[in-house]
Amino acid sequence: MAGSALKRLMAEYKQLTMNPPEGIIAGPVNEENFFEWEALIMGPEGTCFEGGVFPARLTFPPDYPLSPPKMKFTCELFHPNIYPDGRVCISILHAPGDDPMGYETSAERWSPVQSVEKILLSVVSMLAEPNDESAANVDAAKTWREDRSKFNEVAERTVRKTLGL
Amino acid sequence: MMKMRSLVLTGLSSVLSAIVVGNAYIQKKQFYPSVVYITKSNSSMAVLYLQAFVFVVLMGKLCRKIFFGQLRAAEMEHLIERSWYAVTETCLAFTVFRDDFSPRFVALFTLLLFLKCFHWLAEDRVDYMERSPIISWLFHIRAISLITVLFLLDMLFINHAYYSTLLKGASVQLVFGFEYAILLTVVFMTLTKYILHCIDIQSNNNWENKAVYLLYSELVTGCIKVLLYTAFMIIMIKVHTFPLFAIRPMYLAVRGFKKALHDVIMSRRAIYNMNQYYPDATEEDLQSTDRVCIICREDMIRDSKKLPCNHIFHTSCLRSWFQRQQTCPTCRMDILHVPRQQPAAQQPPQQVQQQPQPPNIQNMFPGFPGMQMWPPAPPVPPPMAQQQQGGTQPGTSLPDGTSGAAARTSAATTTTSTSPTTAPLTGTAPAIGVPYMGPGVAIPPMPQMFMPTYPMNMMNSFPSPPTNMAGMSDEELHEMEGVERQNVEARIQWLRDIQSLLDGAMLLISQYNTVAANMSMPGITTETLSTSERAQTSTGVPMPRTSPPQEGAWSKGGARSKVSNPQDKNIRKAQSASSLYSDRNESKTDLTELEGAAGYTSPNEEMIPAWNDPNDEEHSDEMDEVRKRRLQHFSSSSSLSSLSKQDDENINTQSGFQN
Repeated sequence: MAGSALKRLMAEYKQLTMNPPEGIIAGPVNEENFFEWEALIMGPEGTCFEGGVFPARLTFPPDYPLSPPKMKFTCELFHPNIYPDGRVCISILHAPGDDPMGYETSAERWSPVQSVEKILLSVVSMLAEPNDESAANVDAAKTWREDRSKFNEVAERTVRKTLGL
Repeated sequence: MMKMRSLVLTGLSSVLSAIVVGNAYIQKKQFYPSVVYITKSNSSMAVLYLQAFVFVVLMGKLCRKIFFGQLRAAEMEHLIERSWYAVTETCLAFTVFRDDFSPRFVALFTLLLFLKCFHWLAEDRVDYMERSPIISWLFHIRAISLITVLFLLDMLFINHAYYSTLLKGASVQLVFGFEYAILLTVVFMTLTKYILHCIDIQSNNNWENKAVYLLYSELVTGCIKVLLYTAFMIIMIKVHTFPLFAIRPMYLAVRGFKKALHDVIMSRRAIYNMNQYYPDATEEDLQSTDRVCIICREDMIRDSKKLPCNHIFHTSCLRSWFQRQQTCPTCRMDILHVPRQQPAAQQPPQQVQQQPQPPNIQNMFPGFPGMQMWPPAPPVPPPMAQQQQGGTQPGTSLPDGTSGAAARTSAATTTTSTSPTTAPLTGTAPAIGVPYMGPGVAIPPMPQMFMPTYPMNMMNSFPSPPTNMAGMSDEELHEMEGVERQNVEARIQWLRDIQSLLDGAMLLISQYNTVAANMSMPGITTETLSTSERAQTSTGVPMPRTSPPQEGAWSKGGARSKVSNPQDKNIRKAQSASSLYSDRNESKTDLTELEGAAGYTSPNEEMIPAWNDPNDEEHSDEMDEVRKRRLQHFSSSSSLSSLSKQDDENINTQSGFQN
């Protein structure tokens, strides 16, 4: 038997492979290290990201699930809540102590009850509905707010890029 | 790419040194003169130093291959990051010891740097044990041999530094001595971790105390490190100059120690709180959930704890979470501050109860519908729930947050005002309850099956004594608790007495009513008899029903008497007081319910004249006697209702005779 973090990650991996949620695939990069995951997220239907498949990388801390994992898109993604370098900025990924934007109540922060599945589902809903109140990418937030058609255009371009077109 | 470059570099340096050596040998033809030639020429020496450096790097790589195999990306990153700091610090150290700057000195520092790298790698590797599902034998052999080698080298260098300092006085060896001493603590920490991980891997189920052992070992090594650095600083300032290069590691050590200390304190507090306030989950509790600890996603067969919000987790999972945060992982109810803020700050009770439930929590966790919420309060509390309501009732009936002292005085006034009710002023008895029980008080009933016998939430409902207990030491609290407990004991005794008196008063009321009815309507004796009996039984019922909760609360308090917590007293106070209130409430409602029943009229002023019957004289005398007797009963007997019933029958037959 190994550490509790490892056991929990294995349990989550099993759960995710047994009944995967729609539009999400996730698993460890290799079976030797369960603390690095790769995830593929499909752009939610009916949004400007529809049809895209966005790869992301999840890095789990040794004390998972007491601390949240980090998530980073490995593709280019123009979105108000994703930093230009791909890091995802959503409240569920922040430990209750730190608050980079000062917006979040502790109720929506990380807690051991959360899981990889919940994180990925939150990311899907974040893709569908950007939160321009606490923007990680200010340019994207501005475009999203003021010039929606341009935002959609950029999104379409990234979608096409991720599909290799 | 990287590999290519290092290969080219290695090749280049060997070619260069070969040229240098060859050149010298060709020029001088003999061994000794050529050595002298090379050492005299700076450029040749530079080439040879470069070659030596390349050799050292190659040796390092070889050792790494032997002890670690392929490094993982994270390890490599970690290593590079740390080595940059180490190189900078070494350069800073050179400035301090520029006087005895020599190749030997540089070589020693390089060796130190390499050994440091190996220590870090060993640490990382051992940490990796916890993360990997597959630990091979090779891993164990490597880890053990590496730890042994590092330990031996550290000891050797410390020994060397010690003797050279003794023999030649303080020199640069001082720095090495301390550096290796620090590294030795790292080795010890790594070894401890390795052993702990090994035990964990060997044992089949989770080893719960591992986290605690790790914490303590970290605390100890942190402490040793801080002491070493402080000693090093002092000695360095005395002997040489201010050791600038040691500032960063010292700061890190102090920070690590602080963190370890904080962790240990938080962990201890969490354990203390868990043992103190939260009951172990019972079998029924576990059955009512899906038996999965949401923190580790494993079955709850081991010991688990139930929080006041009814969420159940493994004890060990909860402990490690509480180390970071004192909230319920599921509903984020503030766990520590519910019981802890109470003595210090006097908050209005409702606020605390409602604050921890964020509105969107129910959507987020559909698996726990409404479990953490209070169900909507029904207007009339079911009598069965009376015990549970006991604690919350005072909170709602004293919404202005009056202190415990006020509650006490109110209890005291009740004593004074109730004692006259034993005298024939029957009409006023039900009215006493009214000021404390507002007519529209909605009582939030606890979910009955989940409500622990251990009412955490109720602590809010009764404000605490005004003293600031946060500033007191444990001993003082214990001491105060000793006195408090006696007080509370006495208070509960009083309250019981008051309750008995009140019940007696209620019985009297009903009897007087019966008698009065008999007097005024002598025709329908039988019917009034039966109703009066009904009234008696309904007023008599509260007694046996309400006293058990008191008893229970008290015996529970006794069982936990070691526990020093002012809230417990509040609960007891609240329970006993509220059982008194609810008692009154019930008797009141009983009376109003009875209104309109055949032959019964609620006691009021108009009824009193009806007693002035012409042949009432000796009758009332007899009643006085009966009353006295009954009072004796009340003060002495516990099986009150049955006795009083007998008594009533006596009276009724007597009055029947009279008639």
